[in-house]
Amino acid sequence: MHFAIRHLTGYRYDGPVSDNLNALRVRPATTSTQRCDEFHVRIDPETRVSRHIDYFGTEVLEFGVPAAHDHLTIDVRARVVTSDPGAPPDGPWNAVAAPGYAEAAGEYLLPWHDEGLGDALADLERAMRATTPLATLRLLCELVPDRFEYRRGATHTHSTVEHLLEVGAGVCQDFVHLALVLLRRQGIAARYVSGYLWAAPEDGGADSLEVDTHAWLEALVPGTDGRGEPVWVGADPTNRRLAGETHVKIGHGRFYADVPPVKGVYRGPDASDLHAAVTMSRLDPQSGARA
Amino acid sequence: MTPESAPITEGYAPRAPFRDELFAEDGTPRPPARALVEALARLGPEGLVAAGRRRDAIFLQQGITFETIGEEGPTRERPFPLDLVPRILTGAEWRTLKQGLAQRIRALNHFVDDVYHGREIVREGIVPWPLIAGRSHFARAVHGIRPPGGVYCHVAGCDLVRDADGTWRVLEDNVRTPSGVSYVLENRGAMARLVPDLFSAYRVRPVDHYPQLLLAALRSVAPSADSEATVVVWTPGPANSAYVEHAVLARQMGVELVEASDLVVRDEVLYMRTTAGLKRVHAVYRRLDDDFVDPLEFRPDSLLGVPGLVRAYRAGTVAIANAFGTGVADDKAVYHYVPEMIRYYLGEEPLLQNVATYLLGDPEVREHVLGRLGELVVKPTGESGGKGVTIGPSASEEELERIARRIEAEPERWIAQEVVHLSTAPTATHDGRLAPRHVDLRPFAVFGERIDIVPGGLTRVALRDGSMIVNSSQGGGSKDTWVLEDGEPDDRAEARLPDPLPPALPDLRYGGWSGQAQQQQQAAGPDAAAEA
Repeated sequence: MHFAIRHLTGYRYDGPVSDNLNALRVRPATTSTQRCDEFHVRIDPETRVSRHIDYFGTEVLEFGVPAAHDHLTIDVRARVVTSDPGAPPDGPWNAVAAPGYAEAAGEYLLPWHDEGLGDALADLERAMRATTPLATLRLLCELVPDRFEYRRGATHTHSTVEHLLEVGAGVCQDFVHLALVLLRRQGIAARYVSGYLWAAPEDGGADSLEVDTHAWLEALVPGTDGRGEPVWVGADPTNRRLAGETHVKIGHGRFYADVPPVKGVYRGPDASDLHAAVTMSRLDPQSGARA
Repeated sequence: MTPESAPITEGYAPRAPFRDELFAEDGTPRPPARALVEALARLGPEGLVAAGRRRDAIFLQQGITFETIGEEGPTRERPFPLDLVPRILTGAEWRTLKQGLAQRIRALNHFVDDVYHGREIVREGIVPWPLIAGRSHFARAVHGIRPPGGVYCHVAGCDLVRDADGTWRVLEDNVRTPSGVSYVLENRGAMARLVPDLFSAYRVRPVDHYPQLLLAALRSVAPSADSEATVVVWTPGPANSAYVEHAVLARQMGVELVEASDLVVRDEVLYMRTTAGLKRVHAVYRRLDDDFVDPLEFRPDSLLGVPGLVRAYRAGTVAIANAFGTGVADDKAVYHYVPEMIRYYLGEEPLLQNVATYLLGDPEVREHVLGRLGELVVKPTGESGGKGVTIGPSASEEELERIARRIEAEPERWIAQEVVHLSTAPTATHDGRLAPRHVDLRPFAVFGERIDIVPGGLTRVALRDGSMIVNSSQGGGSKDTWVLEDGEPDDRAEARLPDPLPPALPDLRYGGWSGQAQQQQQAAGPDAAAEA
């Protein structure tokens, strides 16, 4: 699929602010199934933008607006081509205990420091266990939205898994955090993915959509029959499916805080009006496309 | 009157199996300590008690105090207890220690650089990667950043102990800008005033040039074209337990003492606000946890610190002492691998020994340790300052059971060590007589163009009879540490110190910081929408 993405963020402040420093993680990644052809960022008030690649391999754009200002606009445009990742491997459980698996898994297998959860997840842990790690991943993508309601405003940016369990509702970010804890407890390495989702109805029709930034996960699934390299497989517990060419990945990390799309701090009054909009447009003919 | 029969030392005897620093097993003073013991005998218990009273009055008046931590958290400030009986190291002993420390600190510095770059030591199979990545002080935000001069551990303080057989061992490494050096300076000054007669037969190597060594090291790594790089001491504020030390160091180095609100980053350069406008800063001496230095990095929910500081650091426009991320090297589980690091990075045999340490992640090791918990010392990996330490032989059954449960729940967060028989040194009791008390030694190394260590360091002493916990936060005291002059050319810097500046900037008003972040909350996609 071929997309044009426009990610517009606008802040309007109640009074003059200064030293507004921000870090953006918004550039679509280039992976084996995705290519970012064009990428532009415009900041208003105008300022210099510097770039670096962070620990997790995500490109970070940093800028600062030192002088007093009353608004900030971050206008990001990208063109991305995605392709279908193909059928994932379906290796057996015993393959996740092999030494090669732990090596490929790295820190995405480390405990979450989730001791505070106690036995709250015991039921889900029992329910999610399926015949293979891949089957478990698929099952989890059903279980999480079955048990928890998708509701904006139920949680906030820094919400914990405990918070999701308490209110019984959350957004994609919370669903992913919960799924990551559950997968790691089963010995399956899993990481948080930030990006955009083409959320068009299955029967097509739309060629432009208002969306939002999205979160899903990648789990390390062992190779079929336990042979071959384990593969990172994208899965979207908010949408009950594996990630495919509708998912445009920006980057990954252990959790949200490793890949926040926009993070900033400024000097001045706390109150500000945020307007964020992501517009995705299909640039290729829609016939034959599968969402 | 011979020293052995003087009232002050009457009945003093080393307690087997512990080695005593000043007395031999037969109860006679070791040769380097003979003149000191004679001088103490002349002073007598009354003289020592009187000098102690003068000491407390001076320390309280000067604010040289320490906050003690009891069962229910921090309690009141009390004068930092300086024991008036010094500890003596010969020139030869000191040279061995100094070389061993320099070797160790160089290896630790290599390790920090390696962890945030090539990870060669992991690829060689010497240190396991999950162990490093699992440390709470592993700082992903500074991955790939090499600081000015390649120096990370500008100030290091390894805690040394002397075992029963006289072997020096490293108990733990401290490379997150350890505190305590101001006590080394204050102690020497106080000793010279309170008990000058003790010095009369000795030539003790000076320590008062430490601030100049530190300033020279900071300037040598500061990214500045001219030699007059601007250095600041960043303190969390008067509420911090090390505030007095920050103020002393800033004053003696002749640099500004600043807080976060005095600093601002513009275009990847750090500035300090002064009455004359912004002034570029080239090097920062700090003792703040990484978590609280820059709200744009590290802790996502913190608004403390200086926004953009990591940016400036990444751009190479400022040196931070100690560098961000050094906490990965003084972790107690990583400690186990330091001898291997020395062999790997330097190709040398370690000159200083570790204490035998058990990592509890391995089920077999864990079982062995749980079986003999009563004989071992258990420590949490990420802590410092003696927090959370359980000493098996002196712990109750209940305490041992509790710690066993915590180990089983989170084995990676604990280590176990063999008990070290910390040496003792004669220490004044309340009536002025001497009694053996356990001591360790924390020398302070400064790493700039090279590694310098002022002679001696902070000898910490457990003031309670039999106790081996020397941390000042747990009721420990300190001793002046004498390294005897034996003709080795000393490293004293001769340049005069600049005139001291006022310790803080005028309090200019500035707004507070606010955070902005977006939650990821896209509505359900097609499938879920269809079902909803």
